[in-house]
Amino acid sequence: MPHEVTLRWRDGREATIDVADGETVIDATERAGLGVPFGCLYGACGTCTGRLLSGDLVHIERTRGLKPRHRRDGYVLLCVAEPRSDCRIEVGAEIQADLVPNPWQ
Amino acid sequence: MSTDEPSHSTEEPGHDHHEVAGPGYPTPAAMRTESEREKTAFVMAPRVGMDVDAPDFVGVVDVDPDSETYSELIDTIEMPNKGDELHHFGWNACSSSCHAEGLARDHLIVPGQRSSRIHILDATDPRDPSIEKVIEPEEVFEHDLSAPHTVHCVPGGKVVISMLGDANGDLPGGFLQLDQDDFSIDGHWEADRGEMEMNYDYWYQPRHNVMISTEWAAPRTYYPGFDLDDVEAGQYGDSIHIWDWETKEHQQTLTFGEEGLIPLEIRMPHDPEETQGYVGAALSSNILRFWEGRDGVWEWETVIDVEDREHPDWDMPVPGLVTDIVLSLDDQYLFFSNWLHGDMRMYDVSDFGNPRLVDRIWAGGNFGDRQEVQGTEIRGAPQMLQLSRDGKRVYWTTSLFSSWDNQFYPDIGSEGSVMLKADVYPDEGRMELDEDFLVDFGDAPGGPARAHEIRWPGGDCTSDVWQ
Repeated sequence: MPHEVTLRWRDGREATIDVADGETVIDATERAGLGVPFGCLYGACGTCTGRLLSGDLVHIERTRGLKPRHRRDGYVLLCVAEPRSDCRIEVGAEIQADLVPNPWQ
Repeated sequence: MSTDEPSHSTEEPGHDHHEVAGPGYPTPAAMRTESEREKTAFVMAPRVGMDVDAPDFVGVVDVDPDSETYSELIDTIEMPNKGDELHHFGWNACSSSCHAEGLARDHLIVPGQRSSRIHILDATDPRDPSIEKVIEPEEVFEHDLSAPHTVHCVPGGKVVISMLGDANGDLPGGFLQLDQDDFSIDGHWEADRGEMEMNYDYWYQPRHNVMISTEWAAPRTYYPGFDLDDVEAGQYGDSIHIWDWETKEHQQTLTFGEEGLIPLEIRMPHDPEETQGYVGAALSSNILRFWEGRDGVWEWETVIDVEDREHPDWDMPVPGLVTDIVLSLDDQYLFFSNWLHGDMRMYDVSDFGNPRLVDRIWAGGNFGDRQEVQGTEIRGAPQMLQLSRDGKRVYWTTSLFSSWDNQFYPDIGSEGSVMLKADVYPDEGRMELDEDFLVDFGDAPGGPARAHEIRWPGGDCTSDVWQ
């Protein structure tokens, strides 16, 4: 059964898509032509980082690109994430930049 | 004769002691003096990690001052997929295959750093390259490798690519070998990687049977961004590796420790007699010299130390971050970039162990006075460098790596980066920013892009090796 996933960009844009069984969020955003960033597609690189605002989202592979503190703060890797309920997720290129700040600043 | 026509690139350069022509030049001096001025630049232009719903591309930049489209992006070859992060690339053939009959420098090998996808471009017409073949990531992962980086063609009809991770983006990395004829995967290049785990760049000096590789980190470590905790945990490299070029076995590890944290770009002199070289340690912001000592044991020393600088708005002293280095074809000048400070330096290295700073250019960055060219903000700072064959022009781009850009120069992620140029006067030991030259990759057709490595048709200072 597909789940309704609402994506929210930091500029205020929103889109709602259906994510089918066995489909990752990035599969679905690509199908919908939404241009959510991605890179390696196996959970290592963090380019597709989003932040889960509500709902049940599971990772189907190890999230090597996230540290435990990122997981605790709700960051998810959308290339290896499948919804198990309707979800709201913050997306866009800026989310990845939350993961590691400038260490000297 | 234009060097933009690769099939003709060796007809002229006095190759009379050999009967067959090949894709390169008989000596570094022949390449420096007998090739024409570059007219075209290929520039890697990733869009990964941007809110631009388009693939990365290989950009073709007009660098012919007599052309009406000088200093413009005249073509973009978009990749078939998104998310690759095009980064470094290389040729199917160079001067190391100088005597190989029937071989031309006409194909570019263009890997995706994040996707692990490898594209082969037919660049016979340098102003209209096209994608000829794509090696999909799954074929690469089958060899338990990922994250392709440095591409060199090597004698014997092969292409060798340094690979930074295993199929999961963990360590160890290795080297992937392709066949030069059909670009099929042969498998691993290395026969015994010994204690080498991390990988990044490599250079080889076949006359002395040596290859030397450097270290970044595991892809899963550097992909998401630069975290000092990872440095403290020993997750970043501090060593280089000496290999037997013939037997492909690891021979020796040179460990730099604090002096050489994150040793990235490595260059050996173009003179095939030389058994020394430089590596730029990005985080320590040192240039280290290494050389073959007695009994074939390699040694090293720090020859340039870029001082950290206090920034009024930052908590900690800021390293220069030496991210790229290039040696002129006559091995007389070394250029390198300090990506966090914002300067690009020129050193006289005629006494290789005692480099002498002769000039520098500030452009962008966190400390430079000059933050604009032609009214355009310099997003980022000097990063990937490429020097003309005659050593009289140096070009650079300002993006490092998508996630690292986000940390240090976030504007690049929304507006793209730029390509700049300076005129070099080797006879006077100085250089000058050319304010007439600016390519703004923020204006690329189809949306902004980051600009990264630069190469010329006909070969350049970081592509060619002599046997």
